[in-house]
Amino acid sequence: MTAAAPLLLALLTAAPEAPVHGTAPPSQEARIEGARLDSLTAAVAGRLRCPVCRNQSVLESTAELSRRMQSVIRERLARGESPEEVEAYFVDKYGPWILLKPEPRGFNLLVYLLPAAALVAGTWIAWRAIRRWRAAGAGEAGPDGGAAGRGPADGGGSGTGGPGAGGGGEPGRSEDSALSPEEREWVERQIREEG
Amino acid sequence: MNGWKRWLVPAAAVPVLALLAWGLTRDARELPSAVVGKSAPEFRLETLEGDTLTLEEFRGRVVILNFWASWCGPCYQEHPVLLRAERTWPYDRVAVLGVVYQDSRSNARRFMERLGGDWPGLLDPGSRVAISYGVYGVPETYFLTPGGRVAKKHVGPVDWQLVRSTVDSLLAAGGDGLP
Repeated sequence: MTAAAPLLLALLTAAPEAPVHGTAPPSQEARIEGARLDSLTAAVAGRLRCPVCRNQSVLESTAELSRRMQSVIRERLARGESPEEVEAYFVDKYGPWILLKPEPRGFNLLVYLLPAAALVAGTWIAWRAIRRWRAAGAGEAGPDGGAAGRGPADGGGSGTGGPGAGGGGEPGRSEDSALSPEEREWVERQIREEG
Repeated sequence: MNGWKRWLVPAAAVPVLALLAWGLTRDARELPSAVVGKSAPEFRLETLEGDTLTLEEFRGRVVILNFWASWCGPCYQEHPVLLRAERTWPYDRVAVLGVVYQDSRSNARRFMERLGGDWPGLLDPGSRVAISYGVYGVPETYFLTPGGRVAKKHVGPVDWQLVRSTVDSLLAAGGDGLP
């Protein structure tokens, strides 16, 4: 056995840290390292879902698998793969669900469009309802002196003072918007009770 | 309200309820596999005995690729099924391979010595191979065609019915045939 044999043996049985799906290594200039590598690794890990703790990102999760995935991310970025390529690798292995944010296409578009649509629809419904309430409120304070028993049924007077006609008669107010004394008192009582 | 407008809200609720009904019938723990149908990721790994083994050596055979760990309870449960698989089909037609997942060599050896089985146990430092298959827990078992494609992935312990039916159909299909 020659002196080179141990070296050859070592090379043949090299640690399986070497990736099995690696692309051809890029030129030296494309390699990244140091703080930029740390930053990119964290960015990619933050966009991938932990397969174990699925509500957490690979960056946040303390699961062992996530730590190992971070190592894979770091290796691939260090070799010159772009963040998009690294993400694509994990999507190829785990499927689209590995991305914390689904890609905005196809059925996934609903995830992005539905909340906005619900917000718009809800705002429109609320606006319509407020308009109806305000119109109904204005109608109750109108010249016919209220319906449905709210407020004094015999709110008489035309704003010139004095109590209403009483005795069950229909209120005969003028069409101006001034409240009769009885109506004013009733409103103030309502406010005090609600206050 | 107009006659038709009062049906707007119930009508809008129907597709939402249908979607919920479909979603609730699914097992939330099980995730779709992205590797089924694709070429099985190649690997070269060290066995528990210190040898080196590649997946390519098993081309032409159905492979039952099982990811397991000594700390995994269901792995104990499924081990007899793998033993039965090893003894049912000849080794030159069906091979069982066990990839050790996040475990030590000594623990894995102790497990195999205690429970039996002559199939290779493969060390996967850094879980690189596990990640290449999209593993997210153990046990997980992948059934590979003789042509080297991933035919099926099973999450959780395998049972004999599943193994027998899958392997028989892969043997019958041969080559790259997927059941």
